[in-house]
Amino acid sequence: MSMKELIEYMAKALVDDPDSVHVEEIEGTSATIYELRVSPEDMGRVIGKQGRVANAMRTLLRAAAARQGRRVTLEIV
Amino acid sequence: MKDAISRGLAILGLRQDEVEIEVLTEGSRGLLGFGAEDAEVRLTIKSPPTPEPIPEPMLPPDAGPKKPSPLPPSGPPAELERQIASPEQQVGQEVLSELLKLMGIRASVEPKLGHELAEEGQVPPLVLNIVGEDLGILIGRRAETLKALQYLVRLMVSHRLKQWSNLVVDVEDYLSRRRQVLESLALRTADRVVRTGRGQALEPMPAYERRWVHMALRNHPKVTTRSVGEGEKRKVTIVLK
Repeated sequence: MSMKELIEYMAKALVDDPDSVHVEEIEGTSATIYELRVSPEDMGRVIGKQGRVANAMRTLLRAAAARQGRRVTLEIV
Repeated sequence: MKDAISRGLAILGLRQDEVEIEVLTEGSRGLLGFGAEDAEVRLTIKSPPTPEPIPEPMLPPDAGPKKPSPLPPSGPPAELERQIASPEQQVGQEVLSELLKLMGIRASVEPKLGHELAEEGQVPPLVLNIVGEDLGILIGRRAETLKALQYLVRLMVSHRLKQWSNLVVDVEDYLSRRRQVLESLALRTADRVVRTGRGQALEPMPAYERRWVHMALRNHPKVTTRSVGEGEKRKVTIVLK
C-alpha cells in the first residue's frame, strides 16, 4: 500500500488539471505528513465547502494507515 | 401472502431458508393478483454470490401511491448483473476498486439495486457493496469512514461523468441490515410508547440513521418522532401524538 499513490489517485480524480497534482511525503518521528499540491483553480475541489472533501480524504487515509499502526496527516498547500 | 413468498422463491429459484422474508403488506382476500389488495413481500437472498434483493412485482399500477418499481411491471425483475452496466456503475466500480486496492484492502465490489435502501416513492439507488474479510475498518465509528468513502466515490464519479451520482457505498450489506434493525426497533419502541403512554428516546445516532427512524414511523397512527440534542448526542424521541 502506498499512501502517496492513494492521495494522488484521489486528487487526480477530483480536479480538472490532474497533471498539476503533486504529493510530497515527509517522514516524521511519530507520523508521516503528506503535502498535496494542486493547481490554484482546483484548490476548491480538493478542499470542499468547509473542508468536507479534504476531511473525507483524511478519514480514508486514517483508516488505511491505522491498519499498519501508522499515523498520517494530509496538508493541502 | 404464502403465495407471494412461494412465487418470489420460484422466480429466484431458491429455498425459503436461503432468503430473508420481509412482509411489506399483509394483503387481503383472494390469491395473488386477484384480491382487492395483494400481499407484498420482499425476499433478500442471504448468501453470496448473488446478494441481489429482488422484490416481488406485485402491485397493479393503479394500486395507490406505493413505491414505483424501476423495473418493468410484468415478469420477474431482471437481475442487475445481467443488464448492461450503466456508466455510473462502471465508473463507480472502477473508482471504488482502485481506492480499496490503494488502501491495501483486499475486497471485491458487487453492484446491485438497493431496494432496501430506497426512499418511499423513489427509484432504488445503485449500491456498490464491498465484500471481503474483516472490513470493519471501512465502516468506522458512526459509519464515518463508510460515509467518507461514499462521498469521495460520488464526487469522483460525478466529476468523470459530469453528472451527479447518488450511488451508495455499503460494506457487507451493513447499511441495509442496520436499517432493518432500526426499523424494527422503531416499531417496537412505538408500541411501548402507545402501551405505557410515555415518550421514549432512542440512543444517539448519526443523521442518516435518525432519518430511517423518522421514515419508519411517519405514518404511524399514534406516535410522532422528533430529533433532540446537538451534534453527536442528537437522538430521536418517540412520543404520543
